[in-house]
Amino acid sequence: MYAVELSEVTKTFGSVTAVDDLSLTVPAGSVYGFIGPNGSGKTTTMRMIVNLFYPDRGTVRLFGERRLGARTEWIGYLPEERGLYQKMAVRPLLEFYGELRSGQKVTEEVDRWLERLGLKDWASRKVEALSKGMSQKVQFIAAVVPRPRLLILDEPFTGLDPVSSDALREAILQLRREGVTVILSTHDMHMAELMCDYILMIYRGRKVLDGTLASIQDQYGNDTIRVQADGGLASASGLAGVEQVRDLGQWQELRMTRGCDPQQVLRELVARTSVTGFSVVKPSLHDIFVRIAGPAAEEAAHA
Amino acid sequence: MRRALLIAKRDYLAAVRTRAFLIGLIVAPLLFGGGFLGIALMRAKPDLNTRRIAVVDHSSGAAVHIFQAAKEKSERGAVDSATGRQVAPRYELENVAAGPEGADALRLALSDRVRSRELDAFVEIGQGVLRPDAPAAEQRVTYSTNAGGIDQLRNWLAGPVSDGIRVARLAELGIDPALRQGLVAGVSLERMSLVERDEKTGRIGEARRSGEAEGFLIPYALVLLMAMMVMMGSSPMLTAVTMDKTQRVAEMLLGAATPMELMAGKVLAAVAVSLTSSAFYVAGGFFVLQGLGMVGMLQPAIFVWFYVYLLAEMIMLCSLAAALGAMASTPEDAQHLALLVIAPVVLPLFVVVAVMSQPNSLLSTGLSLFPLFTPLLMLVRQALPGGPPAWQPWVGLAGVLMTVSLIVWVAARIFRIGIMFHGKLPKGSEVLRWAIRG
Repeated sequence: MYAVELSEVTKTFGSVTAVDDLSLTVPAGSVYGFIGPNGSGKTTTMRMIVNLFYPDRGTVRLFGERRLGARTEWIGYLPEERGLYQKMAVRPLLEFYGELRSGQKVTEEVDRWLERLGLKDWASRKVEALSKGMSQKVQFIAAVVPRPRLLILDEPFTGLDPVSSDALREAILQLRREGVTVILSTHDMHMAELMCDYILMIYRGRKVLDGTLASIQDQYGNDTIRVQADGGLASASGLAGVEQVRDLGQWQELRMTRGCDPQQVLRELVARTSVTGFSVVKPSLHDIFVRIAGPAAEEAAHA
Repeated sequence: MRRALLIAKRDYLAAVRTRAFLIGLIVAPLLFGGGFLGIALMRAKPDLNTRRIAVVDHSSGAAVHIFQAAKEKSERGAVDSATGRQVAPRYELENVAAGPEGADALRLALSDRVRSRELDAFVEIGQGVLRPDAPAAEQRVTYSTNAGGIDQLRNWLAGPVSDGIRVARLAELGIDPALRQGLVAGVSLERMSLVERDEKTGRIGEARRSGEAEGFLIPYALVLLMAMMVMMGSSPMLTAVTMDKTQRVAEMLLGAATPMELMAGKVLAAVAVSLTSSAFYVAGGFFVLQGLGMVGMLQPAIFVWFYVYLLAEMIMLCSLAAALGAMASTPEDAQHLALLVIAPVVLPLFVVVAVMSQPNSLLSTGLSLFPLFTPLLMLVRQALPGGPPAWQPWVGLAGVLMTVSLIVWVAARIFRIGIMFHGKLPKGSEVLRWAIRG
């Protein structure tokens, strides 16, 4: 059962194609991550799922149904930017949004979430008095209070401190355990690796990656070595069979050319300096992202 | 519909619970009724400085009678007989004899005295004014002043000059002095209402006095009230929608309600705010008229029409405001577009006095049947004694309802796309495409 099915969806704004022939399926009960550079089409895709935009071509199905133009009461939606009435107090605001979406009184649910995310003492304060992180949490509560089946979160961790970020992550995972399907977009690749069952990368409106983290990493093979050596970045530069070296601080990440033997790289490195750590790993999501959308890829695209 | 009502309830409470709403309730009538207030204040605090007028009598007989008439009128009007307080200026006439220097030199001397504010005006009475068979040029009476604006002195002086000359003519004919004043006394026309037969008793009712209030004040006040309500409701709607859009509240709301529900909720809230304000003013006006003993001049049916038109106008212009507000991406854009919302209210106000002076002319009929103007102009025609032919309000209302439907339909399509459209103001062709293709 798919919670969301997009089939050959295209959306243009004037001469700009924001989403180009995109197809994807989101299994029910999973956490599905959208990644991609700014302006790649993530938000437009989410807005089409929520019915804020209608696709120019293609179809969007939610839990098997086409619902173009219909209200989507079982979707919880957290937009990227804060959309809260500044002059309203937190509790009435959440009750308003909750009732608007679910059609029922949500007082108890609001209290439960305010308590859970540490905002109970702010319930009577006006939204304009909240910090950016608090506003983000309030907006998250507004999305989850009506007990949605599908939760769409556009950049949910923006503006949150690590503690709040962890609390939100835990809340999202708890919702998944309760059967809620979650689609989230993020620029935090580490968070995507930790949370997402499936990852979709959109670049220039087109899908460039789609699958589990493992399957995506498999596409790139074991072409990455992490080393810890005296001399740091300088000692790892210029090794035969290594096409790129990235300095991670305590570690250096080396990307090998196709067919290169890691043992050969290790031997050459040991000959140069004292090696205290060495491991062959799959490329990180961050690395894959940069390979697809980094400056080198941009240059290649424009060449 | 439930979601639209929920949005309407929130917006309504957010609007009426503000200090701005309460202040607006008081300030708006001052702005719209400022002209009436100014007149009332002027009447309460008149300029009591004595007016001085020089009279050059070439007829050798009229001046003495004009002086007498002016003196009586001045004394009669200057002091309130009940309180003894001066309530109007006194008027002093000065007889200036024509000298050997010639008429032009005398005119120049008197003009200089007016310019130096020694005099307010001077009057010249032609030498043949007492002889009806004299050439027209010799019968002229001229009045010269440099006063600007509405010249009340001329209006005041016309009576004594006219009466004085008529008395002088009677004197020339040898009429008994005791009869002269009575013969020239003016006659006033007392305005009365039409009479009706009481259907229960069969008796013909008595005519009642019908004054300015029935003929002018009540229709004009109703039109001003409607214009005020519509402008107070529709213009803020435009900026409120733009604010919701730019602050991304609209995106949150559209995640829960359809664009049509969102627009309907906002329009309903604006209508409810207007109805609240209008109830306040209508009740206030009713008590004022009751206090003045003029409540009998109100026709109950006109209030039904007032609210029907108010509802239609509010729905029409608030929908338009919502669409325009959704198109705008900045408060500046919204300000520019606000002109389109207030135009259907302001333009009829420019012609309302002309319509009131000739309510059944072809132009008045045509303008009041133009759907965008019908709520204000048909209302004023209906509120005037006599009113338009019975079919016209119904034809006007049909046109209004069709226009409201069309505007709401188009506005909803523009709103749906515009509310999520950020960037520069869309071109006309783009908006047309939104309206047609949805």
